[in-house]
Amino acid sequence: MASLEISNVSKAYGATPVLDRISLAMEAREFVAFLGPSGSGKSTLLRIIAGLETLDEGEVRLDGERIDGLPPGRRGVAMVFQHYALYPHMSVRENMAFGLRNAGMPKPEMEARIAEVAQILEIESQLDKKPGQMSGGQRQRVAIGRAIVKQPKLFLLDEPLSNLDAALRMRTRIELAQLRRRVDAALIMVTHDQAEAMTLADRIVVMNDRRIQQVGAPMEIYARPANTFVARFVGSPAMTLAPAIRVEGEGGYARVRLGCGAEVETRVLPAALPKDGALQLGLRPEMVAVAAPGGGTADAEAVLLERLGERTLVYARLSDGQEIVADDKGDSRLKVGDTVGLSIDGAAAHLFGPDGAGHHAEAAA
Amino acid sequence: MSGTRDWRGLLFVAPFLSLYSLILIFPLFRGLWLSLNRVDLFGDGHFVGAGNYVRLARDPIFATSLVNTFEVTLMIVPVLTVLALLLALALNNAGKGAALLRGIFFSSAVLSVTIVTLIWRFVLAPDSGLLGELWKSLGWEPLAFLSAPGLVLPAIAVTTIWWSVGLPMLLFLAGLQQIPQDMYEAAALDDATRWTTFWRITLPSLRRTLVLVVMLQTAAQLQLFGQAQLLTAGGPSGASRTAVLFLFETAFGRWELGYASAAAEILFLIILAVTFAQYWSTARATEGRDGR
Amino acid sequence: MAASLERGRLTPLGWAALVLGAAIMVAPLAWTLLLSLKHNAELVGHSGAALHPPYTLENYAAIVGNSGTMRWLLNSAIVALGTTAGVLILASLAGYGFARLDFPFRRTLFVIVLLGLAVPSQAVILPQHQLFAWLHLHNSYPGLILPGLIAPFSVFFMTTYMRGIPRDLDEAAMLDGASRWTIFWKVILPLTVPAQSTLAVFTFLGSWNDYWWPLISATHSDMYTLTVGLAAAQMNYAQTSGLGFLMAQAVFASIPIFIVYIVFQKQIVRAMAGTAVR
Repeated sequence: MASLEISNVSKAYGATPVLDRISLAMEAREFVAFLGPSGSGKSTLLRIIAGLETLDEGEVRLDGERIDGLPPGRRGVAMVFQHYALYPHMSVRENMAFGLRNAGMPKPEMEARIAEVAQILEIESQLDKKPGQMSGGQRQRVAIGRAIVKQPKLFLLDEPLSNLDAALRMRTRIELAQLRRRVDAALIMVTHDQAEAMTLADRIVVMNDRRIQQVGAPMEIYARPANTFVARFVGSPAMTLAPAIRVEGEGGYARVRLGCGAEVETRVLPAALPKDGALQLGLRPEMVAVAAPGGGTADAEAVLLERLGERTLVYARLSDGQEIVADDKGDSRLKVGDTVGLSIDGAAAHLFGPDGAGHHAEAAA
Repeated sequence: MSGTRDWRGLLFVAPFLSLYSLILIFPLFRGLWLSLNRVDLFGDGHFVGAGNYVRLARDPIFATSLVNTFEVTLMIVPVLTVLALLLALALNNAGKGAALLRGIFFSSAVLSVTIVTLIWRFVLAPDSGLLGELWKSLGWEPLAFLSAPGLVLPAIAVTTIWWSVGLPMLLFLAGLQQIPQDMYEAAALDDATRWTTFWRITLPSLRRTLVLVVMLQTAAQLQLFGQAQLLTAGGPSGASRTAVLFLFETAFGRWELGYASAAAEILFLIILAVTFAQYWSTARATEGRDGR
Repeated sequence: MAASLERGRLTPLGWAALVLGAAIMVAPLAWTLLLSLKHNAELVGHSGAALHPPYTLENYAAIVGNSGTMRWLLNSAIVALGTTAGVLILASLAGYGFARLDFPFRRTLFVIVLLGLAVPSQAVILPQHQLFAWLHLHNSYPGLILPGLIAPFSVFFMTTYMRGIPRDLDEAAMLDGASRWTIFWKVILPLTVPAQSTLAVFTFLGSWNDYWWPLISATHSDMYTLTVGLAAAQMNYAQTSGLGFLMAQAVFASIPIFIVYIVFQKQIVRAMAGTAVR
């Protein structure tokens, strides 16, 4: 049964639309990430679900019950705020008790719940401390604890990792992964960090420009981006998008020619492609290997080398000026200015139509 | 926020606003109306239009009180401001002991005007005052500060400066502590003298505080009342009667409420005009120079 | 020393000037204290006697035995504490309303409150006096307290302070099912304690030292505040029991305010820092 159902939600601030007919359904206990750049509407959508913003049109249902008219406290949702929003003047215990007390829960039950959550999160020894006396990581746990203790049907996490340093970020990522296994509820996380979304979520909702661009499992989003926005936003470094035109090809697949004249045979079925109009060839670095000059699909000049240790990213320029990112081994001997051959793996390449829509290699049988 | 405009929010501001309307806004308009009427202690009075204002314009006592007010303000504000600034600069450099000295310089500011005048009456009095004793011990004839027409306003100014120097001093001290240390380090690297550093870094950084102090003090001293009323009752022969004292005497001595209200409106306008003039002139003078 | 460049040592000349200045500040206070410790008779025509012993506490004993002064002290305490409590309550409520709630005419009303900052008390004091006469509130505690409650600065101050509290906290509390009132009472108000104490100190000092309003509103000597009582005492100096007693009254009246000042020095200095930055 679906847990959260959003249908046709629109929202505008005055004359500025921020959400345009958003619809989405979540499975029970599903972990969904809203991924997008700032201003994409992802936070507004989260806040509408929480009840912190009103919607102009549409419906939000949770476990079948319509919640968009309810006050935030009665929706059965809990939220972990980006900056934690712990009540600074209350101890950890009081922070967790506040919501339960407002709900009129009897004291013994309240204490039992808090004790249980404190044990799970290993913050029993901190219960009488104030948030100000704790480290960032501990506060994060308390914020999570304050949400868990309410036993909500839906957790909302607003940029939960953006406040943490790199080391803590990794640890908290693991903790969030554990959290979703412990709780019997669905989770929504808002993030602008695609790595976070990819590692944690069951499904990613990519948002941009007031709309949902694509909904799918992390690898599906990565491997079959619905449009150029998703293609560029997900994956690091970003996918190269090179203008291309269709040429006659043998076999049943589309063949394109790049600006420099090189031709690439893709595995995209031509039937779905528009008859004419400019296309873009989408290439991730791992689809472009470095070869000897003249030995690949095209020759290019290396303009920047990014040595990552286990691999080297080669930023190269084709003869027509088109930039393209290729992948080389970690101990690459290339120098900036060298001429290299690039061998493009057309079998994995993507094509994007003039409308930006993505067309992908036919799935291997 | 749940975006909806909600009348219930008014409940939070209603207690303040209702009192505010009753005790400030209503009297503000009532005062304007009173100033257009001839009102005395008995009865409601009658409308006289600009009559009170015409009478004020011709009233030499009111004119003198305005002149006295400006004079005493001009005596107090520049001296007070410079003194407070010098004190703040000195205390900022004093290291240990600064806190104690700061406490001493501010201590008089917490006293009420009646205590201040009580103290200064017996500092200034020629026969039993501290200065009188001092003069006598030096073999001089004590000066009658409070009964000599030429000395009374300076005496009131000194009293006021003694009373009020602490507040602007604290403001300047706070302002000084906001100046980023690296500006001084940069100046030191540029081999700037202390004098240059003061004129080029410290003073420009304190500009906002300076404007604030001058505006607050000017508005306060244009309303100087208690010192004059208590020390001299405006005497000798009106030499220390300030505008607010004039309005106090007119209203609560002679119960000419309409006439006093007109004086109050005039003074209100003067204070507004002076304050805005100060604000605009400093805002214009620094236009474009200030990135904030 | 990191702070050694501009905060360099004060020159000896600077120190001398500073100490001289401090002496000028203290001298009138010391003079008052010395006078208050003398027999009244000893001072007649010869106040220089204050510089030498013998000293006595008899003037203070006389004050404690003088029901008038003690009554004024009580009145001052009631008025100052009542005003302080009232200002804190009204300004906190209004501050929360203006800082956090959205209601019709919110901006307009806030601007109207701010405009009140520009109204000097002398501009409204006559009609206020008339109004309180109509309401039969002169010579009463409410009459002395009410005009002190409408300080626009207090509302501006609390509004600004509350705006500085992260909105996250309100939202977290909403998700915790708290009502508007609960959010105000349990979440926001406890976080404004520093602002409350600063506002309390200034309101208390201002009310305790206020002269204009009690002077015209409290006309019966048993409703005088200390400020007005001392004013009356010095106006009638010729008839009072003497210079020493008068000065003892001044010292006595200063004691509560000096205690407040010394205890709350930190709040005062911090509030100044806040004002100077703005």
